[in-house]
Amino acid sequence: MPDSQDKLLEVNNLTKYFPITQGIIFQRKVADVKAVDGLSFFIRKGETLGLVGESGCGKSTTGRTILQLYRPTAGEVFFQGKNLAKMQSEELRKMRRNMQMIFQDPYASLNPRMTVGDIIGEPLEVHHIAKGKEKKERVQELLQIVGLNPYFVNRYPHEFSGGQRQRIGVARALAVNPAFIVCDEPISALDVSIQAQIINLLEELQQKFNLTYLFIAHDLSVVRHISDRVAVMYLGKIVELTDRTSLYKSPLHPYTKALLSAVPIPDPVVEEKRERIILVGDVPSPVNPPSGCRFHTRCPLAIDICKKMDPEFRDVGNLHFVACHVV
Amino acid sequence: MAAFVIRRLVWLPILLFFVSVITFALGLYGPGDPVQVMLGMHANPETIERLRHEYGFDQPFYIQYLNYVANALQGNFGYSLVKYRDQPVGVLIAEKLPATIQLNLVAILLGCAIGVPLGLVAGLKRDTWLDLVVRGIVVAGISFPIIFLNPVLTFIFSRRHEFTLAATNFTFSIGPFLPMVQGHWDGLFSPKIILPAFIESLGVIAVLTRQMRAGMIEVLSEDYIRTARAKGLRERVVVVRHAMRNALIPIATILGLMLGGLVAGSFLVENWFDVPGVGQLAFDALISRDYYVIMALTLLIAVAYILANLFVDVLYGFLDPRIRQS
Repeated sequence: MPDSQDKLLEVNNLTKYFPITQGIIFQRKVADVKAVDGLSFFIRKGETLGLVGESGCGKSTTGRTILQLYRPTAGEVFFQGKNLAKMQSEELRKMRRNMQMIFQDPYASLNPRMTVGDIIGEPLEVHHIAKGKEKKERVQELLQIVGLNPYFVNRYPHEFSGGQRQRIGVARALAVNPAFIVCDEPISALDVSIQAQIINLLEELQQKFNLTYLFIAHDLSVVRHISDRVAVMYLGKIVELTDRTSLYKSPLHPYTKALLSAVPIPDPVVEEKRERIILVGDVPSPVNPPSGCRFHTRCPLAIDICKKMDPEFRDVGNLHFVACHVV
Repeated sequence: MAAFVIRRLVWLPILLFFVSVITFALGLYGPGDPVQVMLGMHANPETIERLRHEYGFDQPFYIQYLNYVANALQGNFGYSLVKYRDQPVGVLIAEKLPATIQLNLVAILLGCAIGVPLGLVAGLKRDTWLDLVVRGIVVAGISFPIIFLNPVLTFIFSRRHEFTLAATNFTFSIGPFLPMVQGHWDGLFSPKIILPAFIESLGVIAVLTRQMRAGMIEVLSEDYIRTARAKGLRERVVVVRHAMRNALIPIATILGLMLGGLVAGSFLVENWFDVPGVGQLAFDALISRDYYVIMALTLLIAVAYILANLFVDVLYGFLDPRIRQS
């Protein structure tokens, strides 16, 4: 077991429900979207935890709730030993110096009316890291670090390509010298040819600055490449979490198996033998998730107990966590 | 940018041609006749015919139109035929324009000062009771017709009100709070301007509040607002520097277009408060078929709107870096 010194981030029972309201004048809550429902995991210093799952399973919500961009409905988020979920806004604002996020859409996440210099320099100013000439120098240095021309400071985001914009987003996140960065599908809006560049950049920066990543993606091969450990999410819950090798070599949860079987193998001989596990039906609505194990409606191995009891997320040895009755 | 402005200015005479032909035709072929109005109901038909001939109204349409254009190009926009008999139209408008421009200017400023903050609050506090109250005020403001507001607000603010307490026979009075214009215009800084300007500003308030509210709601849901929050900015900075600045771009567009309306007077407000402005002039000209006054005013408003549109397009380039490039 890793001792608590090693853990940069520990999440206990993290839950985020979004209320659905009805009514024009008097709004009343009619239901909840259970986007994230009781997640528990930790991330060690300097490692990358990959978070995978289908669209809408709550990956991005998880990332945002950890950083308190959404305040959690329940649960604790310990970062550097302090519970972020309990923090008041001013204390939290100061904590943001240590934890940053790289956003999915490099086209929408940069303010179109600010120059690159202002976008990257703003966090330096609010956290009293640098200002004036020093700020400008730091911004230019950051641009260089992410592989952009330092003379771009006075340009506007629309003058850049998608890949360059994402580099600006990375430089912005890096500006305050954070310990932890949530990468929220940082490459899914980019051309395939650019994706590898950004991935390599992120890896390089991790080594250079001893960064810890939560890497959210739906591309299994990318996650396999960059992560030390991988968590698989289904409908607001983590179903399996273990180190990269065991997850890809010997997945335990039937959902993980189905996901992995969908990845094409770039070798025609092996690819021919690949057996796809095709899941039937659609992902149920997070407003009204299935009883018991949330996967039982589509699970090829489901038995009676799966409908009644939510399986415990337990360690089956060597920190291989899985939530399944059948395993 | 210069090429763009020149290209747009080339369109100006073409637009003015169409506007003038249509206005001229409407005046000439519409019912009523300035000569009839000048001479009254019981005029001798021969006199009418003679006067029509003198003014050239018996000539074919295109001759009258070409004469008008030829004169207008030399700076002569004709003479008033009826109420301000024989006064040159240019002089007449120049005399009436200041009051209207001042009134409209104050109305727009008042509209900004009230509408933008209201919209900002409503957008920030979307779907709360504050938002509901603001939306209620806006709907009420544009729903009350001006012909209703004119007398009601005048009664409340421009009269002396006496109250007597029934039991004690004690009498006290308050007001009048605001003076009336009544034909004598004292300019921009006179309290006389407040009441008519406020009534004219209601429309501005409604438009700006709705736009600002919608703009804030839209901008606040943008990804870059989340980015700003993630940077660790104070919420106030997020709202002012990131959200408001972007939400104000469409406001600037609307205000730019309103500049075109500065020269157009309001019939209802100017007549009720007896503001000696263009609106009153236009009203008189319309009911007495004072052709040349109507023509000149229509052309003036058309030019003002065309220039305002051009101004907005240029302004946009400065406000939005994305447009500046292309």
